[in-house]
Amino acid sequence: MQSNQTFADVFKAGGVSRRDFLKFCSLTSVYLGLSPSMVPSVVAAMEKKPRTPVIWLHGQECTCCSESFIRSSHPTIEDIVFNLISLDYDDVLSAAAGHQLEDVRRKTMKDYKGKYILAVEGNASTKDDGVYCMVGGDSFLNTLKETAADAAAVIAWGACASFGCVQNAHPNPSGAVPISDVIKDKPIVKVPGCPPISEVMTGVVTHFHTFGTLPELDRFGRPKAFYNTRIHDKCYRRAFFEAGQFVRSFDDDATRKGWCLYKMGCKGPTTYNSCSKIQWNGGTSFPIGSGHPCIGCSEPNFWDKGPFYTRLAEVPFLGSDSNADKIGVIAVGAAAAGAAAHAAVTAVKKAKSGSEDNDKA
Amino acid sequence: MGRIIEEIYVWRLPVRLYHWINALCTVALFITGLYIAFPLFNPPLGEAVFYRGMSWWRFIHFAFAFIFIANFLFRMYWALFGGDKYARFGGFRPWSPSWWGKPFLEQVKSYLFLRSDEPNYVGHNPVAALAHFLFIFCGSSFMIFSGLAMYGENNPGGFNSVWFGWMIPLMGGSYTLHWAHHLMAWIFPIYLIMHLYAVFRHDVVDRTSVTSSIVTGYKHKVEEEPA
Repeated sequence: MQSNQTFADVFKAGGVSRRDFLKFCSLTSVYLGLSPSMVPSVVAAMEKKPRTPVIWLHGQECTCCSESFIRSSHPTIEDIVFNLISLDYDDVLSAAAGHQLEDVRRKTMKDYKGKYILAVEGNASTKDDGVYCMVGGDSFLNTLKETAADAAAVIAWGACASFGCVQNAHPNPSGAVPISDVIKDKPIVKVPGCPPISEVMTGVVTHFHTFGTLPELDRFGRPKAFYNTRIHDKCYRRAFFEAGQFVRSFDDDATRKGWCLYKMGCKGPTTYNSCSKIQWNGGTSFPIGSGHPCIGCSEPNFWDKGPFYTRLAEVPFLGSDSNADKIGVIAVGAAAAGAAAHAAVTAVKKAKSGSEDNDKA
Repeated sequence: MGRIIEEIYVWRLPVRLYHWINALCTVALFITGLYIAFPLFNPPLGEAVFYRGMSWWRFIHFAFAFIFIANFLFRMYWALFGGDKYARFGGFRPWSPSWWGKPFLEQVKSYLFLRSDEPNYVGHNPVAALAHFLFIFCGSSFMIFSGLAMYGENNPGGFNSVWFGWMIPLMGGSYTLHWAHHLMAWIFPIYLIMHLYAVFRHDVVDRTSVTSSIVTGYKHKVEEEPA
């Protein structure tokens, strides 16, 4: 039975050698930030524990998380992971469709009550009872609540499910909310990014499978193993930042020399992610490595945080052409003007009272 | 000009020291902070290892920030335990409706030219107390907390990250926190203008030598000239 297979069984059936299996376990431990002494636990879990069933829902989203997931690095190993997660329901990847597929979801929910992982890609529209996102004949809002009710834990894939992403950027026409606003009574792991790095995604699933618990989370509910440090702090261009060597325009000499993109609006100093460590597409590169400033896609509400190519965010309630410094300069000017006006009135009053005194005298 | 009829020792040495250290730090922090946001100078082409174009500015900003914090804590100590009647919080009770009553309104009216006479205070008048509370106490506290939260960002799990990192989710993310820190920095030049104007004006109108009092510590009462 497929449902009782362990990871190791599936590896064997797929013709993967024991050696490659152990390599996979070691690499996974590294990605999880575990010490080498923990590798045997990973191996034991992979060998003995039946695969954790995963229901993968898609709400308002662009499927870039799935795209990232299936393009995991180290192809042989990540492809195996993709095949090995007991992905019982995924409306994008499943061969089945329609009622058949919905039945599979309900069956998994019943058979593995309280044991399956609910992975959510995208978020729910809440305006007008969620009619702006209908999946399988029901609003995604209802499906999400229904499926989350019996889940062991919930994984919020990507910026959409974690923080809302472009759907709930101003003015948020569909009333999109992050899934943590809908699911209140289940542990949620947020794996933000647009999309998240594939190894981060597989790492989170493997952690749950291995230890039966969620990974340690930071203040935003993101796994610390991957979201504990800023891109800036592990960036290979950091030396140019400290030296004050900045790219000032995309066609200058500094660009060719690969200097720091801080002045081009790089959000690396305020973005927590593993891009500068794990990198993308099998460690090929990452945005800054390709000469583009980080846009901070794994941070809350990054769409509303001003232009991608300038340092300072615009101030949303004061029109599109104002930022912190303009407001500051105007306020300082107003204070100076106010003081000058007050001084003028004081002088006039004084002169007047002085002349009155003189008149009296 | 009339004769000096009374000398009052208002600002004791700890208060004057605090004032000038605070003034120096605020100016240094504002300038280096703006530079960090807009690094103007570009070093010549060459190896990054030879230049400190950004790290020096950041170092100065952090160094002054810690002096600023120590100075602020010292002032809090002095306000609470110094037993200095012109430098303590005593009397400042904005939560009580009576505080907003007569003395405060009188001072506001005087500033708005609705009264001809100036109420005279040896220490801070109620409007000044409120301004100091908002700009210096609240403003500095915000800058210190947000600054330490950002300072702790490069060492997750470290002291600053554990004790002040809660500012990051509170402000909705690291970027918003940086932005708020930057925006709030502007209250200091605004305060500076109002502060200098108020001091000079009081000196001219009341002739209490308030300007020099922050150097010497003494304010004066001057005899009214016979008309």
